[in-house]
This record gives sequence, structure tokens and C-alpha cells, in this order.
Amino acid sequence: MARSVWKGPFVDGYLLNKADASRASGRNEVIKIWSRRSTILPQFVGLTFGVYNGHKFLPVQVSENMVGHKFGEFSPTRTFTGHSSDKKAKRG
Amino acid sequence: MARIAGVNIPTNKRVTIGLRYIYGIGPTKAEQICQQLEIPAERRVNELSDDEILKIRELIDSEYRVEGDLRREVAMNIKRLMDLGCYRGLRHRRGLPVRGQRTHTNARTRKGKAVAIAGKKKATR
Repeated sequence: MARSVWKGPFVDGYLLNKADASRASGRNEVIKIWSRRSTILPQFVGLTFGVYNGHKFLPVQVSENMVGHKFGEFSPTRTFTGHSSDKKAKRG
Repeated sequence: MARIAGVNIPTNKRVTIGLRYIYGIGPTKAEQICQQLEIPAERRVNELSDDEILKIRELIDSEYRVEGDLRREVAMNIKRLMDLGCYRGLRHRRGLPVRGQRTHTNARTRKGKAVAIAGKKKATR
């Protein structure tokens, strides 16, 4: 079920501070965050976040289209490269 | 025969049923259209007057997104997800279920027909 509108989008508060600080400093640094559950807000557009996937911080350049999605959607936590071709198949 | 919204030619079925042959019109919208134009539910498509057909056509053109337009919209939405690089987009790219269903078994609609694993022996007794 979708989240109630009256609550507004969910964002971990410290992200706002981090984003503001990064904007103020002017340098285009990767902002490391763990909060994959936070919604991407319009004021994050243009910034680069390093979203933790349990292993690494994957850089996510926030564009306008991403607003409304969650950070976690852009940082996959599983790796699956496909099944290797079976050795037995070649023999038989 | 009646042509409504492009290529669709519903047959001598009831109007509420015939309209569903149009992509983007299901039970609810077919019902709505009939109620709005005050067409009785028992009326069949070949019993409609030209005037009524015209009215249906105009209503669908103005109120509903249907056929090509709708298909394009759906395709655009999927394309947006794929270009964005978000999880749902990746699933679309891979041709796997998008909404968190299991893929250990099943998911055959998305994955297509089962492909035998080469060299895997069948269990024999």
C-alpha cells in the first residue's frame, strides 16, 4: 500500500543537513549515506550521493527524474552475473 | 460492424462486452461509457444506431486514453525506469519479475519458456 500523502515523503533528517553542508561548501563531493530508505527530494537534484549497498558506496548522480524514488533503488545489493556455462555439457 | 477508436471491430456482442475489445477499456470503463450515453445494457453492437456509435466514438476520443496512445504511455514509463538505472528498471532490462516475486521457481511469464540446463542428468532410480 502506498504511503499516506498527509505524512509527506519520508527522509532521514540528517540527509538534509548533509546536503545543505555540501551545497554550502561548493565542492562537488560524493556524500556518503547509509539511508537507503530515504526518498529523493527535489533539493537533492544535482548532488552526488554515495549510497551504501552493504559493501561499497555506489555513486548516484541525482537527476530530476529520480525525485520520488528511494536511494536504495539505485544501489543494488545483490550481484548475479549469470550461470557459467556447464563444463559437463561440452563433454557430453 | 462498427469501427470505434481505430481498428477495433467488436462483433454482435453486447455493447459493454464489445467495447472491451479496445485496448484500455475494461469492464469498469465499458460500463461507464454505456451509463453516460444511456445505452441499455442489453443492446448489442449491431443494434446501435449510427448516432450512438458516433457518440461512443467521440466520448472515447475525448475522455479516455486508448490503444496506441496508451501503449506508448506504458512503453514510455518502462523506458523511463530503464534509463534511470533504478532497481525496477534493471529488472525490466533483465526480463525478470519487477515487483519482488520469487524467481527460484515460477516467474515463467516474465522469463519465458523454461530452458533445459545442458548436461543436467535426470534423477533415475
